[in-house]
Amino acid sequence: MSAVLPIAGATPARSEGVWRIAWRRFRGDRVGMVSLFIVAAFLVLIALSATHVVARHWQQEVGVPNAPPTFLGPRPPEDLGTIEVPKGPNVDLSDVDPLAPRYREWAERAARMKTTEAPRMATLPFGGDRLGRDVLSKAVKGTEVSVFVGVLAAAVATTIGTLLGAAAGFLGGRINDFLEWVYNVFTAAPDILLIFAFAAVFGRGIGTVVLILGLTGWASVYRQVRAEFIKHRNREYVRAAEAIGASAGSRMFRHILPNVSHVILVRLSLLVVGFIKYEVILSYLGLGVPVDQVSWGTMLAEAQAELILGYWWQLAAATAFMALFVTAFSLMADAWRDALDPRLRGAD
Amino acid sequence: MWAYLIRRLWQMVPTLIGVVLLVFLLFKFFGADPAVIVGGLNATQEQVAAIRTQLGLDRPWWVQLLIYLREIVTFEWGRSWATNEAVSNLFATRLPATLTVMVPILILDTLVALPIAMWVAYRRGSLSDRTIMVITTVALSISFLVYIIIGQYVFGFQLGWFPVQGWSDSTLTNLLTFVPLPVLLAVVVGISPQTRLYRSFFLDELGHDYVRTARAKGMTEGAVLFKHVLRNALIPIITNIGLALPGIFVGSFLIEVFFSIPGLGREVLLAVNRSDYPVIQATTVYLAMLTMLINLATDLLYKVVDPRVVLK
Amino acid sequence: MLLSIRDLKVAFRLGERGTVTLAPAVSGVSLDIPEHTTVALVGESGSGKSVTAMSILNLLPGNAQRSGVIEYLGRDLLMASLSELQALRGKEIACVFQDPMTSLNPVFSVGQQLAEPLRRHLSMSKRAARERAEALLVEVGIPEPKRRLASYPHELSGGQQQRVMIAMALACEPKLLIADEPTTALDVTIQRQILELIARLQERHRMSVLFISHDLALVGEIADHVVVMRQGVVREQGPVARIFEAPQDAYTRALLACRPSLTHTSARLPVIDDHIEGKAPTRQAKPKDPNAPVLLEVHALAKSFFLREGLFGQREFKAVRDVNFQLRRGHTLGVVGESGSGKTTMGLTLLRLHEPTAGEVLLDGRNLLTLSDSERQVMRRRIQIVFQNPYASLNPRFTIGQTLLEPMTIHGIGAGQYERGRRASALLAKVGLDDSALGKYPHEFSGGQRQRIAIARCLTLEPEVLVLDEAVSALDVSVQAQVLNLLKDLQDDLGLAYVFISHDLAVVRFVSDEVLVMKDGEVVEQASAQQILAAPAQEYTRRLLGAIPRGYQGAS
Repeated sequence: MSAVLPIAGATPARSEGVWRIAWRRFRGDRVGMVSLFIVAAFLVLIALSATHVVARHWQQEVGVPNAPPTFLGPRPPEDLGTIEVPKGPNVDLSDVDPLAPRYREWAERAARMKTTEAPRMATLPFGGDRLGRDVLSKAVKGTEVSVFVGVLAAAVATTIGTLLGAAAGFLGGRINDFLEWVYNVFTAAPDILLIFAFAAVFGRGIGTVVLILGLTGWASVYRQVRAEFIKHRNREYVRAAEAIGASAGSRMFRHILPNVSHVILVRLSLLVVGFIKYEVILSYLGLGVPVDQVSWGTMLAEAQAELILGYWWQLAAATAFMALFVTAFSLMADAWRDALDPRLRGAD
Repeated sequence: MWAYLIRRLWQMVPTLIGVVLLVFLLFKFFGADPAVIVGGLNATQEQVAAIRTQLGLDRPWWVQLLIYLREIVTFEWGRSWATNEAVSNLFATRLPATLTVMVPILILDTLVALPIAMWVAYRRGSLSDRTIMVITTVALSISFLVYIIIGQYVFGFQLGWFPVQGWSDSTLTNLLTFVPLPVLLAVVVGISPQTRLYRSFFLDELGHDYVRTARAKGMTEGAVLFKHVLRNALIPIITNIGLALPGIFVGSFLIEVFFSIPGLGREVLLAVNRSDYPVIQATTVYLAMLTMLINLATDLLYKVVDPRVVLK
Repeated sequence: MLLSIRDLKVAFRLGERGTVTLAPAVSGVSLDIPEHTTVALVGESGSGKSVTAMSILNLLPGNAQRSGVIEYLGRDLLMASLSELQALRGKEIACVFQDPMTSLNPVFSVGQQLAEPLRRHLSMSKRAARERAEALLVEVGIPEPKRRLASYPHELSGGQQQRVMIAMALACEPKLLIADEPTTALDVTIQRQILELIARLQERHRMSVLFISHDLALVGEIADHVVVMRQGVVREQGPVARIFEAPQDAYTRALLACRPSLTHTSARLPVIDDHIEGKAPTRQAKPKDPNAPVLLEVHALAKSFFLREGLFGQREFKAVRDVNFQLRRGHTLGVVGESGSGKTTMGLTLLRLHEPTAGEVLLDGRNLLTLSDSERQVMRRRIQIVFQNPYASLNPRFTIGQTLLEPMTIHGIGAGQYERGRRASALLAKVGLDDSALGKYPHEFSGGQRQRIAIARCLTLEPEVLVLDEAVSALDVSVQAQVLNLLKDLQDDLGLAYVFISHDLAVVRFVSDEVLVMKDGEVVEQASAQQILAAPAQEYTRRLLGAIPRGYQGAS
């Protein structure tokens, strides 16, 4: 239903809705804008990574094991202390050597084949892990995986929680009783325990992590959405909608949901942060992303052993990327919540 | 009062049944075949079949469910598939270690976060408020793992102030030597979310009319904060602690893994890695029961704290 | 002179992050409060009266900026330090606020809260404080004072809570009592009791009272001096007799004229802005046809709510019992009662927004309560409702255009979007708004305008009966007048029948032909409007009438 009506004469200008006003207020918040910029930059990076424009070859072992970062300079070569190689020509064994007649043939054949072995680099931009893989590439790829999992899982949990919460809050009665029972069952055991139980059963993999987190995280969204719907269903504008004959579905999703969407958005952003952190922990424990993928969690797992040996760059990279993104995201979400807060908005 | 108690206990039953159902169905239909797990990688077909009969897996699923229920009611949980240790024994021996670490963490978290939150809420919008909020945001963005890794490295490995890992049989030794480092790290991490949460509670209370009345009566700001506001804020704070309590039984499994503390969290983690289903199932159901009892206790505590509550 | 305010200016800093704006609330107010007098500060919402009063003790929120001079017994309170103010607050200057439920601390008992100022300012021991608290409760008229000391605020009724607030304010025998709309949140009969209590206490304790209200008639009964404010400035001030008998300022005159009167009937109410400009109300009363067809007939309507009690039991709460009436086309039935009388529930039941427990509602002979779902949709077109709270009855996320189009789209009125748009514009014009409103959101309109939009929304369905549930109660006096006039115009033009629910007998009298008085779910009295006011038969009706403030009565 469009708000601009085809009336004879001038079309009345559409006023600013809630989102436009909030955006204007958000724009005035410097911290919020900087955070938004950083998050946007990360999203661009993730898009580039997902389309293989950057960090495509993160798995290749391009550096020497534990290569130090470029700004530190290469490691001094180790003194291995081997025994000296004896000098002088080799002893001729061709009369007792059974393979002697074939040597020349093989040497010719070998000369025709080429192998390329790129020389291992002594330093990498942000160092290398114990296999010599580029830490910077891993960090970027890890960002893609961790953020993707966090956001997708949050979206799944929010969708489930919103649908169930709306149904329970608005329709009440037996549907509410049943959903409350489901909620009680899911929240009876501590979250981590439920995650572990699901992990034990479903195994590893990105899809499973998203599923596990989504299935355990919907409860908080459900609770809040249900409370909001209960609050709004008795509000006069909903009663008025009922009085003019709007259907239950229309009342739930056309009338109430837009009024509740800012609350849901805030909770979604909280979930994103929480799930990213959970994913890191799960991957660290070996329950998260599979072996052929990298996430911040797997990087931290490797970093622990490296730290004892004095190699700190993988830990630093993973922590820096994670801290920067999560901080920026949290600050941005805070700023959005303040911009949307009805108490600061006019005379409501 | 008694009617309320009976009704609440009565209402727990369907939830408990739901949890049992969830755990049972989850493991039955999505989990791997237990007979294969128990048999191990080298078992032959006949061995696996024999195990299957022994575990009763060839019976129809609802019969298995009934057996399962009976086991729960009689607290006869069977044994761990990996260590053959009785699960109830597992609980009894691992729980004390978890509690020795988690209870100090819970207490310290609350005691430190409360005054900070109150101060920050009172001075809302000021520079100190904004600074602390930013600090907590940044602190929250760094994974717990990083704190532990660096903490262990710096305090245990480099400086040698605390042992890097370990546990002993005596509670006193534990509290004095092995517990400080993990508790310190956990509290440093836990303060940030707690402060933010409590801050929102205090802000909420400070916006109420009775605060204005208290000021109008001539009360000092201190009396307003510590007598009027704190007393009202206790209600959501107690809710929060009540919600956090069940979590301490699983403990911070990360702490237990990193510091080699033989607690329940570490046990569950080991069970997950070994596909030791009985341990995971038993822990889930037991903890669900415990959570519900704690919720009931919290609700009863409400009556003491909030006179408006009518237990029906 | 006890308190002297000179050229007070108060502004609020808005906007935390980024942009900061300054919103002025009070722009240069001067008034005096002599000893042993009651000064009334009167104004509509947004006039700045509460802000002025709260500035005295600096009980404003943190983002307020004050300037000017507030002189109390030789000291400038604006310059006083926090500890000096704290020594004054509750001891020499005390406050009573509007909503006693939220102003009392819910977790402390009445006795504890009463004892607080006593122990703080008078250094009383616990036992002495308790005895004095009991004496205070007796003085404000609370029965069983000893038992009440241990009660919590939520266990008391609204009137009793306000008495406790007053007792708390009196505890240290203050010289000045600031009462900020102390009776607005209470029922009419309780209002009168509290009003008389304050007047009595003012006499006995020989203190001054600064009484803030939006109701000029109310303050006329107890004030010695009156100060009238509008939009942050003082329009007029002086002795109460002069203000009522010879008001100088146009706004004061308009305020006095716009209240629907209890003594004489008028066709339309004068509106403040019109009155200021000297325009007289234009339309004349159209006589009502006594033989108009009966549109709505209600027999033995009842509604009960079932509450859970005990282990498995239920308790029945009878909200509405046995309501009967007939409503003719073009007529208005007024329903009067205090809170808890069941009048709102009855109104909602007529539209089946609550499902009734018993009885029948006949609209043109068809029983509304036994309709099938599809028939119910059709019924919705014929009977509509306007709610009390103008801020809550419009969806904040819909534009006005969307709000007005929705009912037409649901019921298939009008050939297409263009036609519906035309109808929406026409209706907006009818309620006195123009086309530009279609693209705007509710928060851009005032309370009165929103209420008119709500009326327009009902009219899109071309109903025959309109239920108005306290539709003007939340509006200022001047805006009330506008909306009431509009309702009367619509009734004359479209032949609508109204069920007008309100607690305000004066307003009900202005609009109604027949009046129903309800108490505790039952109809106590039912008669024509004139008869109810001239010769009320029941005791309760008489009490309701007596509780209505009449303004200054002259030398009596």
